[in-house]
Amino acid sequence: MNGSSGWRRIAMSQEMILAVILAGLLAVASWLMPRFLEWQGQLNLSRQLWETALISMGMTLVIIAGGIDLSVGAIMGLCAIAFGICHQFTESVGWASAACLLTGIGCGACNGGLIAATGVHPLIVTLATMAAFRGMAEGISQGESYSRFGEDFARVFASQGPFGIAVGGWITVTLAIVLAVVLSQTRWGRYLRAVGGNERAAQFAGVPVERLKFTLYLGMGLLSACATLIYVARFDTAKADAGRGMELEVITAVVLGGTSVFGGSGQIRGTVLGLLLIHETRLFASRYWRIDELRQIVIGCLLIGAVAAYQAVRKSKV
Amino acid sequence: MTRHDPGNVPGSDSGSDSGRDSGCDSGQDTRSASSSPGRMLYPARSTWRSPAGAREFGLALLLAGIVGVVGFCDPVFLSGVVWRDILVRCAPAIIVSCGVMIVVVLGEIDISVGSMMALLAALLGKTISSHELQWSSWAGIPLVLLSGAAIGCVTGVVVTVGRVPSIIASLGMLTLLRGFATLAMGGKNIDGLPDAVVQASKTGWLGVPIGPWTALLVVLATYFLLTRTAIGVRIYATGSHSDSAGYAGLPVRGLRVFAFCYAGFLTAVATVVDVPRLPKIEAGIGNELELFVITSVVLGGVSISGGRGRLSGVVLAVVLLTLVRPVLTFLNVGESAEKWTKAIHGLFILLAVISDRFSATMDQRRES
Repeated sequence: MNGSSGWRRIAMSQEMILAVILAGLLAVASWLMPRFLEWQGQLNLSRQLWETALISMGMTLVIIAGGIDLSVGAIMGLCAIAFGICHQFTESVGWASAACLLTGIGCGACNGGLIAATGVHPLIVTLATMAAFRGMAEGISQGESYSRFGEDFARVFASQGPFGIAVGGWITVTLAIVLAVVLSQTRWGRYLRAVGGNERAAQFAGVPVERLKFTLYLGMGLLSACATLIYVARFDTAKADAGRGMELEVITAVVLGGTSVFGGSGQIRGTVLGLLLIHETRLFASRYWRIDELRQIVIGCLLIGAVAAYQAVRKSKV
Repeated sequence: MTRHDPGNVPGSDSGSDSGRDSGCDSGQDTRSASSSPGRMLYPARSTWRSPAGAREFGLALLLAGIVGVVGFCDPVFLSGVVWRDILVRCAPAIIVSCGVMIVVVLGEIDISVGSMMALLAALLGKTISSHELQWSSWAGIPLVLLSGAAIGCVTGVVVTVGRVPSIIASLGMLTLLRGFATLAMGGKNIDGLPDAVVQASKTGWLGVPIGPWTALLVVLATYFLLTRTAIGVRIYATGSHSDSAGYAGLPVRGLRVFAFCYAGFLTAVATVVDVPRLPKIEAGIGNELELFVITSVVLGGVSISGGRGRLSGVVLAVVLLTLVRPVLTFLNVGESAEKWTKAIHGLFILLAVISDRFSATMDQRRES
């Protein structure tokens, strides 16, 4: 950058590009549909976002550290089955939730252990565990679905908290803030970027690379289990196909948010913007055109276009 | 697999400065040559001792073992009808894997093939079905093949000119093409394809449908491309170190566009030979095909970071993975044992990953 001011740097940043697109979309949407931006309506619809948002926050850290986790959707399937079976035997939502969380931690530990111990690329390890976890969920449940977990459980995450935002929403917001602080203010945040930038260099510099990786994937398992709880409560069913396609949805949001797939750079606020952009596009496409397929086309174009734009910006900086 | 000495560079006429260089390697033993990251030739010698051949050897052994055991338990498994069915099921995945394998050897990845197949199937149905546009098959099928190549070309241009990482570009295409496919189908199914096309994909020639024949042809053509032409050498060279390949004057961008184009074209070929077999064309066609194909490519021993991997391993991996479901049915393990198919697929890759790791440590110990 030759002598350009701070303003120019801000104007050219990826978050800025995203924020402008998002503002443009909202402006057009509220011009075409005056009721689009109503707070209550937006809040109600934000429920669809929680599970994806929870996992996306964790995935941002994983991708910054140069990894990827394809198995999150499959972990959700296995966790849902664990929840369903445990509820069938104990009739208690508490035990079922515990089983669900333990399964998630187990799956995460399995991923993390394999990645840390073998040093094989996480893409391959999680591709394998993705098939394995989903297959186990399908094999154990034999296509059965579990439901009727009671009114109380359905209300846990949907009950109103402060500002009219439901508990599930607050959990997501809190996690986003905590992870953003961890990423920007703590030693672990710097370690993550170091590992993503150059793993060998980080190792020689004394970063506990293997412990870090294990913790990351363990955390992803736990987050997937939490997302499963919210998902099961929202639909009141637990099936082996819970969270199908979740991994791609999550990666789309993270990458749209400006995190580099090669690791080393990225921000939680970018992921938040990416999530909001996908969410609002989906709402707009389904409510204005009333054609749901259009949202896939728009999101695909957005993803390619945004990343091409980031690359062009990066090139002009160099 | 044929054996050829690493020194005898395939297709060493024009673009093989790189090839001639590595002719010096031929004195070394294959193990150390192929474990060095800079190795750029098609890994040649496939003895079980070399890590390059170990994967194929393991896969072939596993395959033979499974077929032997199941055939022993239930001789019907070895009959022609069963194998015809298995071959028909393998065919589209083998065809698509040949294309995706080249993309992966180049150090890129293409996860858009499933959605592409859905869109191309919709196009095929819309043009040649007797309830739709009623084009002649001679016009409709070439159009589908061209469209496949064109879509692949778009992905390739996004990757090279737009400098979008291929995993993102093809993820975008995956979403986008699925959207177009559902939009094109409009919530309905298409049937009424011309009889000749349906017959070819069901009965075919010499009692074997056109799918396996095409797969054989595609495998031979891809093998020839990778081992006997300059393009093949350049693909391995670019995959093992794209910067060096660029400095050496190889058309790196052109090769990338070519690979995506080839993968798109082969997806179209797989659509044309396999889709008419189905009772009707629906929007869900090709769902998760990309996962199956990437799984096969990885299980077949192709390095995800590019530059290494052989076609024989990929083909064996496809057959092995396709075999799981019929084997579970034949073994009669219990009510709907098929549901465990995916779990076994995952187990296979994990085994491959761990065995690779184990043999690498053993190699290091032997060398030090």
